Amino acid sequence: MIPAAITPLADYTESKLSFFPESASTFSSDTDWIFNFISIVALVFFIAIVIALFGFALKYKKAKGQQAESQTDHNTTIELVWSIGPSFLLIVMFYFGAQGFLAHRTIPEGSYELGVDAYKWGWGIDYGKFVIHPELHVVAGEPTKLTMTSKDVIHSLYIPAFRVKKDVVPGRFNYMWFKATQPSEKVATDEELAQLAAKDAETNASWDYDGRQFTPDGYAFYDLYCTEYCGTNHSEMQTVVVVHETREDLDAWIKKYSSRSATESPASYGEKLYQRRGCKSCHSIDGTKLVGPSWKDLAGKSRALASGESVVADENYLRESILNPKAKIAAGFQPVMPSYKGQLTDDDIYSLIEYIKSLNPDAAGPAAGEQPAEGGSEEATAEAPAE
Amino acid sequence: MSVGSVPAGYEVKDPGYPTPEENYLTNSRGLLTWVFTLDHKRIGVMYLVGVSLAFLVAGLLALGIRLHLFAPDGWLFNNEFFKWLAPDKAPNDIYNQVFTLHGAIMVFLFIIPSIPAALGNFLVPVMLGAKDVAFPRLNLSSFFLWVAGAVFFVMALLASGLDTGWTFYTPYSTTTDTSVIMATFGAFILGFSSIFTGLNFIVTINTMRPPGMTWFRMPLFLWATYSTSIIQVLATPVLGITLLLLIAERTMHIGIFDPEYNGDPVTYQHFFWFYSHPAVYIMILPAFGVISELISVHSHKRIFGYRFIAYSSIAIALLGFLVWGHHMFTAGMGPMTTIIFSALTFTVSVPSAIKVFNWLATMYKGAITLTTPMCYAIAFIFLFTIGGLTGLHLGTLATDMHLHDTYFVVAHFHYVMVGGTLVAFLGAVFHWWPKMFGRMYNELGGQISALIVFLGFNLTFLPQFVLGSRGMPRRYATYDPEFAALHEMSTWGALLLGIGLLVALVVLLASLVNGKKAPANPWGAATLEWACTSPPPFYNFERPPVVGDPYEFGDIQWDGASDRYVKVEPKRESVPSETPAESPAHAGE
Ligand code: HEM
Ligand SMILES: [Cu+2]
Repeated sequence: MIPAAITPLADYTESKLSFFPESASTFSSDTDWIFNFISIVALVFFIAIVIALFGFALKYKKAKGQQAESQTDHNTTIELVWSIGPSFLLIVMFYFGAQGFLAHRTIPEGSYELGVDAYKWGWGIDYGKFVIHPELHVVAGEPTKLTMTSKDVIHSLYIPAFRVKKDVVPGRFNYMWFKATQPSEKVATDEELAQLAAKDAETNASWDYDGRQFTPDGYAFYDLYCTEYCGTNHSEMQTVVVVHETREDLDAWIKKYSSRSATESPASYGEKLYQRRGCKSCHSIDGTKLVGPSWKDLAGKSRALASGESVVADENYLRESILNPKAKIAAGFQPVMPSYKGQLTDDDIYSLIEYIKSLNPDAAGPAAGEQPAEGGSEEATAEAPAE
Repeated sequence: MSVGSVPAGYEVKDPGYPTPEENYLTNSRGLLTWVFTLDHKRIGVMYLVGVSLAFLVAGLLALGIRLHLFAPDGWLFNNEFFKWLAPDKAPNDIYNQVFTLHGAIMVFLFIIPSIPAALGNFLVPVMLGAKDVAFPRLNLSSFFLWVAGAVFFVMALLASGLDTGWTFYTPYSTTTDTSVIMATFGAFILGFSSIFTGLNFIVTINTMRPPGMTWFRMPLFLWATYSTSIIQVLATPVLGITLLLLIAERTMHIGIFDPEYNGDPVTYQHFFWFYSHPAVYIMILPAFGVISELISVHSHKRIFGYRFIAYSSIAIALLGFLVWGHHMFTAGMGPMTTIIFSALTFTVSVPSAIKVFNWLATMYKGAITLTTPMCYAIAFIFLFTIGGLTGLHLGTLATDMHLHDTYFVVAHFHYVMVGGTLVAFLGAVFHWWPKMFGRMYNELGGQISALIVFLGFNLTFLPQFVLGSRGMPRRYATYDPEFAALHEMSTWGALLLGIGLLVALVVLLASLVNGKKAPANPWGAATLEWACTSPPPFYNFERPPVVGDPYEFGDIQWDGASDRYVKVEPKRESVPSETPAESPAHAGE
């Protein structure tokens, strides 16, 4: 066997100039077939045109002042032939194209359904039961239907390997479906993964999909891009698609992400949510100003608001900012954060707040102490079991 | 008959060279005589300077784009040097503004006005045999509106930039904090400029044709201009309304495009493309007109299928209004609507394809001289064919699902707009340069520029077809490493293309300093603009031109003795040798 880590890398080191990405859904072969058909027809015409173009230019090249051999300026037969002849080819192209398109639009009954929430600049794939994860995981051989909407501007979900694309428009639902055919291999062992994760934790780096070419769970993947320009980090609005061999496999993966395990501390689970749920694309944890305020030294400090007032960033403020972000806008920032109402469990919110607090150790104590009356609600949150 | 001799019994007609005082460039002097001129030729020249400057700026931005994409993580704008430009912005923001301005300036300030406004203004009346356009004052105001629009673009750039892409898609454009209003207002003003130009040409061509200039004796460039003008007048107001609605949405939240106020963002796309798709034909139809002239003149052969080319320009102009939906195949329109738009899209491709065949048939058995304009015309056919054929991949629904909004589209429209329109524009500038400025340029230099532009262009954009079909999305400031090799190639190509354009510029400017004096008709063409001196006199023609067939080359001969083309005509007795005894019939009236 080939060493695990090399196989997926081969994908881009060996075929630098290949014309198509890998072909991994039932749409791919149809699309490629039509693409090739059009290309061949186009190439035949192109070659004929180029031969005529350069051929005539050389053959009939004359010295200055010479008269042309002929001044024929029309020939109805030829003109009809070259107008009507190619039109038939166009009809064929149109026909196969429309047929392929209808296949994209006819969603099979009983497809496996997932929700997609796009936002600047990330994806939330909704697996139900509050499991929302940026990676798209599906099952091979089973039709998958995505119900998509956007929280802010228009995005577009594109999986080159599946040859599918659909705009994700705020204020409406767009649908798409596909049937993946090539399961993603598991290419890294759990030990390797644990090592890499530990290394990342040390250097405070996030998972490097491009460099490693497998997911934090060790799967090879297909790229998923945003292809409708959506602002600053449009080009970073990418995620990955993992195709599981069986439904059980997928369910096991979902389960792994469904809630905080009994042994995990809220702050460390909060950090995972920070990575996974898109907070990271707008909030830094090292003090850098991104689209939103950094979380470093945030908890317990006083914040100036755009309205001119100021508040203390206690648990209640943080909770409100997550659920109703437009209520109190921090000075110097735009009201662009989407609401996470209904998308995070109480335990998720609690974990996130704990994580934010952990980023400001010196303030954590007093912040909690300042609001003894609210402490109760915090405990209640903590107790609420994740479904 | 040997080359260079005029047969006996024929008389030579040749306006010769103008005297220094009698051409439009020199008949009055001083900056103000230019600023307040009503002469269509001077307005054309001012447009030419203006659009060339716009092209230069947008071209430098394009080089910026390409250099940035030299490396997957972004090369140019990550540089320390750019920090001061955007102290609290990410390098991606700089890139986003650069590609937006590149696109917006190229489209609104260069490609739309280039051939119609700059060359059209100069050529339409002269080719028609008229003294000027119908409304000279309107003409001047359209130029100043262009300047005003350009000023707004510059102001947007200096204020807080613009990062929406040239398409201003909502709701991004209603929410970004960059200068959307300033830029859209600029585009709005430019729309008026475009409408005025179109209106002027329509009226000019309808009412100012001299006796003998029937519709089917008009050179094809005029047909192309006429069709373009129809689009400009009919489609541009829609853009104006759309941009005003966009401004209203941004300032007053009227709730038409932004879902936050119950608007529908896809409505904006319908409005926008209802203008902008026909606008694509504003960009390419004049180029078709130019190429028809260039191919015929430099092959010294009648254009093949004149009527078909003329009608197909009109057909393209009208059909062009029905296909805007093909920019939105993935936006989630109803399946039937989508399929109808795809079918209509194919119908527009037929007339364009046939034009290519007509040009080739014109070259067949011609007497081709590979002058610089002809080299550009040949490059045009090559590049436009690629642009057109790859349009088939995009008009076909199943493949467009994969290719939409990828580099395949970027390559496709650059093949059409740069490979097509820009190359035709360059060919046209070389072709009419002697007429406009009375100087011949260096032929070898011109040919070299055509070759470098051709090679550089292909090296830039061919790899982008591969990038796109492999899945590289457009408008990306950074990209996955597997695309790096192709992006590198493309960047080298852009540098080469830049060199080619620079050579062309140097050749043209040098001719002004030390070019040979141009004869009236350096190419042996039969259209009217070559019947007046180079440069033309203030009122274009000394006496009303005799209108003939614009593609009749039989009576245009090379006169070796005077080293130029002359028009020969059977000798006619203009004064009867004997005065008739009776007075003519009308004498008593
Ligand atoms: C030196 C020659 C040129 C180069 C190297 C170049 C390169 C590029 C690149 C890399 C992009 C960005 C693609 C993306 O990220 O989506 C772009 C966009 C664009 N270019 Fe060019 N370009 C050139 C000339 C032109 C010309 C002459 C025109 C005018 C017809 C033009 C029109 C456009 C348009 C309309 C866009 C789309 C902008 C947008 O989507 O916002 N380009 N060009
Ligand atoms: Cu996006």
